[in-house]
Amino acid sequence: MSKRRHDLEAQFDRILSEHGAAISRLAYSYEAVTGIREELVQEIALAIWQALPHFRGECSERTFVFRIAHNRGLTHVSRRRPPQRSLDDLEEADEPADPGPHLDEQLAQINQRERLGSAVQCLPVAHKQMIVLMLEGLSHAEIGAVLGITENNVAVRLTRARKALKEAMGVGQ
Amino acid sequence: MTNDPMTDRELNLWREQWTSVARPSPEFQGQVQKRIKLKDRRFWLGNLLAVAALAGMLILAVYQLSHEANRFEKGEATGVCVLLLVAVACRLWISRGTWRAETQSIRAFVELWRRRVLAQIRGIQISIYVAIGWLVFCAALAAANWATIRLEITATGCLVLTVVILFMLPVIWFAGMWLHRRKVAELNEVTRLLEEMGTTND
Repeated sequence: MSKRRHDLEAQFDRILSEHGAAISRLAYSYEAVTGIREELVQEIALAIWQALPHFRGECSERTFVFRIAHNRGLTHVSRRRPPQRSLDDLEEADEPADPGPHLDEQLAQINQRERLGSAVQCLPVAHKQMIVLMLEGLSHAEIGAVLGITENNVAVRLTRARKALKEAMGVGQ
Repeated sequence: MTNDPMTDRELNLWREQWTSVARPSPEFQGQVQKRIKLKDRRFWLGNLLAVAALAGMLILAVYQLSHEANRFEKGEATGVCVLLLVAVACRLWISRGTWRAETQSIRAFVELWRRRVLAQIRGIQISIYVAIGWLVFCAALAAANWATIRLEITATGCLVLTVVILFMLPVIWFAGMWLHRRKVAELNEVTRLLEEMGTTND
């Protein structure tokens, strides 16, 4: 195996370790069904692997990863059929992962998390992209670089996206 | 983002909740590695098969050109050589990798996507009419020069050629229309996405 290939594999493994969870969450915003979402996550990882040899550091690695992930998510949205949750998915979503002694508290947390997740999934594409990048902790400059807009524009759009998210979650203004 | 401490608390809470949403499966990295290996294998196998098929066809065509005296078959062999050259040129053009659309910003990607779909629709429309026009042109040319051609093809060959042309016309038309419908649906979807991004944000 050549040194270049070895370096790329090491870089790719590191990217997956660092951003794997974020990629999975981003895929969640585009796809509610678990099985299809896992497929989408793998597609995103594959796209990153294919684009990696051409990454010259013009933007940060995080920006690079989020651009590919969002663009692959958009392609997925344009191809998919109307979302249908299987019974397994519904059961999985309703059941707490590990019911412990503070059951009520845990259920409330899961409920909040589900509400946030569902609200993000329901948002229009542009708001969804903005909200996901904000929740992942990207700076305005990074969000601008991912979306292809200016930093000032990011601030204006973020305010609107947050308002839309609050409405989707049913939080009073 | 606003600096209102109340709103920032809200943002922090959202972020905290968001981090526990949809954790990747433990075997995620292994599955990706497996998929990459499969993709690599398919890529090499596909290229190997394509090169073998091209070389085989080229050898056959050159052999026919150098050994057969029949002008009809020579014309056929020349046609195959030209087609192979065009196919190789197209393949190289498509896989030249001078741009990676997905690494661009989302807006640039969607705009590029729309332009590509528009170009594909135009390409399909042109291809349908060019293919049908070419078949009609060949048929007209053959009819006009029938006295010369008939000495070089057998009656069976002539019948086969006529059947193939008659069969190809509706196949080209319906296949082209099916592709066209799919691309128009894709264009509508991309336009909707672009409008959504524009109207929601601006």
